[in-house]
Amino acid sequence: MNAGERLTDANFPAHPEKATLEGKNKFLGFWLFLGGETVLFATLFGTYLGLRNMHLDGPSSEEIFQLPLVFIATMLLLTSSLTSVYAVLSLKQNKVRSLQGWFIVTFLLGAAFLGLEIYEFIHYVHEGHTFTSSAFGSAFYTLVGFHGAHVLFGVLWIATLLARNWNRGITLSNAPKYYLFALYWHFVDVVWVFIFTVVYLMGKVG
Amino acid sequence: MADHQKTPETTVHRHEEIQRKLALKEERKHHNVSFIMMILLTIVAFFAIWSDKISDSFAILFILTLAVVQVFFQLYVWMHLSHKGHDFPIWGMASGILVAAITVATLMGLIWTS
Repeated sequence: MNAGERLTDANFPAHPEKATLEGKNKFLGFWLFLGGETVLFATLFGTYLGLRNMHLDGPSSEEIFQLPLVFIATMLLLTSSLTSVYAVLSLKQNKVRSLQGWFIVTFLLGAAFLGLEIYEFIHYVHEGHTFTSSAFGSAFYTLVGFHGAHVLFGVLWIATLLARNWNRGITLSNAPKYYLFALYWHFVDVVWVFIFTVVYLMGKVG
Repeated sequence: MADHQKTPETTVHRHEEIQRKLALKEERKHHNVSFIMMILLTIVAFFAIWSDKISDSFAILFILTLAVVQVFFQLYVWMHLSHKGHDFPIWGMASGILVAAITVATLMGLIWTS
């Protein structure tokens, strides 16, 4: 069977994302990549934890962080993680329209999260907390900014993936792609769980 | 389609299909429960800091524990690590987390002692 052929309910495999060798390789490779990403973020977290109190003349974390904003951002990202897992459930049932719908919701929630983050950063810069203001500033923007860049990459990824495959249905070739995006998106949420805990909540108690 | 419906193969196929539907229904339930759990864990973590009623050092330990629990929900329920055929991914993530923990400890130690 051609991997680009639209799957029907009759020939739909139990695990369309791993039904081809390419799919299996992508699945394994992507998990190893996520293991590497964990280490990458660990370097940024370690640096931030070491430098978070060195704010020089700039505002301290306790002074500038606003928990209500962070709480809303957390809820947005958490919900988007749920909608992407719903999309994976649709994938397993060969329901392509519902998959597209859930991924669009995921995209919108991700974009809203990015909007909040940009607003937050602009606010901080006005308060005198910038990338060059102190070691705390550099470590903060590198860590949180790197996560934000991952979110940006994710929303661009899902947008192109949906646009390119809009009329193709679910095929053995695009099922692994959808599945891996969902994994990536959950991982981005996992990193955020540590950011809101280590950066924002711990920043409030010194 | 209609004239094939009585053959044994189709019966087996339909049986498998029903089982798969039931499994997916169960999975959806797990996803929903884990979503509610994660929302609750998040609210508890924020409240622990917000309310200012718990001592700082205990609050930090507490919210870090909540974060770890939440991450396990993500990895095992939403990223399906609990499903069959995930041995290599678990090894990949476990080694990643091990190196990550050593990295965080080393970097913090280096900065604090310098």
